[in-house]
Amino acid sequence: MQIKLEITRFMRKFLLICCMSFATIAFAQNYTGVHKFDGEHRNEALGYAMFGGNVVSGGFGGLELSYKRYLGDRWNVMAAGQAQFGKQLYSAYASGGYRLPVAWMDFYLDGKFMYNRYNRWHTNETVANISLTWETPYVFIRVGESLITFHTLHFRYTEPLTFTFGFGTNIRPRWNPWNIGIFFRNYDEFYYENWNINWGLNFYVSLKKDMQLFGEFNIRPAGSMSQLASRYETSGKLGIKYVW
Amino acid sequence: MKKLQYTLLAAVAALIFTSCEKVSPIGVLVSGTGVEDRVKMSNLYFQQHKSDYKFLDASETGDEYTFLVGADSHLTNDDARMAEMLQIGLDNNDLLYAHLGDIADTKAEYYINLEKVLERYKLKYARKYYKEVNLADSLKAWGDSIDVAEDYDGEDLTYYEDEEGKIYSLDQIQYPFYPVVGNHDITHNGWALWSNIFHSSFYDGWVYVGQENGDLVWDHFIFLDTANGTLGKEQVDLIEQGMVDDKYDEQDGVYTRNTFVFSHTNIFRPSSLQFASTFAREESFFLLNQFVEWKANIVFCGHVHKWDDEVVGGVTYLTLDSMCEENNPDPGDYLVRVHCKKDGTVTWEKVHMNTRKK
Repeated sequence: MQIKLEITRFMRKFLLICCMSFATIAFAQNYTGVHKFDGEHRNEALGYAMFGGNVVSGGFGGLELSYKRYLGDRWNVMAAGQAQFGKQLYSAYASGGYRLPVAWMDFYLDGKFMYNRYNRWHTNETVANISLTWETPYVFIRVGESLITFHTLHFRYTEPLTFTFGFGTNIRPRWNPWNIGIFFRNYDEFYYENWNINWGLNFYVSLKKDMQLFGEFNIRPAGSMSQLASRYETSGKLGIKYVW
Repeated sequence: MKKLQYTLLAAVAALIFTSCEKVSPIGVLVSGTGVEDRVKMSNLYFQQHKSDYKFLDASETGDEYTFLVGADSHLTNDDARMAEMLQIGLDNNDLLYAHLGDIADTKAEYYINLEKVLERYKLKYARKYYKEVNLADSLKAWGDSIDVAEDYDGEDLTYYEDEEGKIYSLDQIQYPFYPVVGNHDITHNGWALWSNIFHSSFYDGWVYVGQENGDLVWDHFIFLDTANGTLGKEQVDLIEQGMVDDKYDEQDGVYTRNTFVFSHTNIFRPSSLQFASTFAREESFFLLNQFVEWKANIVFCGHVHKWDDEVVGGVTYLTLDSMCEENNPDPGDYLVRVHCKKDGTVTWEKVHMNTRKK
């Protein structure tokens, strides 16, 4: 009886988060080690500078800022924004997530709603994403779906559902004061691609108890899956995470 | 735990490097034949041989002229579908034939087969549109005393005469077959095979339509190299520098009426389950805007092996299904014919192919 009640409660929460996901839809996509409530700090602010080169827009730089609030041990909400100069890309998103701990693993169900303004190409894009992430101390795998709509040239186009996938692993457990990892995925914090994989290396190191330095080197080739990959974008990120 | 870490790292590397047979291990970093090199080579060749890409003339083709488009033939040992496309074009008097890439699967013998079928149809084309002239007969008729058999040592002395009485060898006749390069055309040194036949992967061509209010009127055909799923920096720069814009200057008495663009990689996905790479997001938006700037009527794409048509910003995007027997063994509407009317109207229709896989 007790188990049945628990399952019913869980299903209610699950459905609720699914509904919320379509409306708002977040699992931090930055490599900062632990992604769950540490039992002490409910607030997390993060910012990074990015720089890189892109085939279409040439060199670019950018700034990102985000804030995450843990609503207890299981729930979190997040908001972020970025400006990429050169590309003239301006973005914002809101997201929410639920964590389900199972033994030494965590499952995250995240929803995210994002807006991108590709000013250089007169294009507005909205993305609704829902993702399920399996995270262990050393590995994570994520799958999800994105609904992407763009508006350009007085035309609105909604793309067929876009499959989201990601994989990452690190050489130390994610609660370690420092770490280095590798990843490959078809999304980044502010875009969801079709079958174009980006991949690279990332790291973090704790500066103080409440502060981390993190960074990422990202190779974003064009046409990775069914085509020979070709250089499209290379970028780096360097940022600080602060919790309180 | 360390063993686990190394196993995981090895698994990731293996997955990245071997997830698709078309991705060679170093291809993840740099492909075998990069788009930058191809475009540089293609542009150099095109600029040096621009006069070879001679203009087609549709000024005296009646009420309209037509052209035929096919995609993803993946030719191997069976050239039936390729031959059927060329025969359909010949029978219908299509002014030109465009192919959207992945023309053959990358093996030297398949490109030899491709070259053979193109040579066969070039000969048919020459015989249909030119008057065959045998130089030996002409020399004899002129009373020349030379011994043709001895002096020309078995050389083919068949030449072709156009309506204006100009004489051409078969090599000099321009067979109006215009391909773009596809991802299958560049793997495993495929570029060497492809470029040996077609030379340039980034070029444009023109069809002269006639005069209107004193202006020379043209239709413009732009062929992009998108085999890697990206234009590459060189091609983007050339496009932005206006490499293919030289007939948009109406002040010089030149008027471009219609513009057609040909690309292997598709922009729009026909459905969620079409797992083929498309352009990255910024590049898609760049292209959508560029096509509007070119006032393109139709953009033709292939690659995904699935039909799709969209209209964005007044530009029609047709993604063609594969005409390959392996992908589509049954007869079907795999080709597209475009009708360009004298009054500037452009319409298109699907064209049926009857060949069934052997």
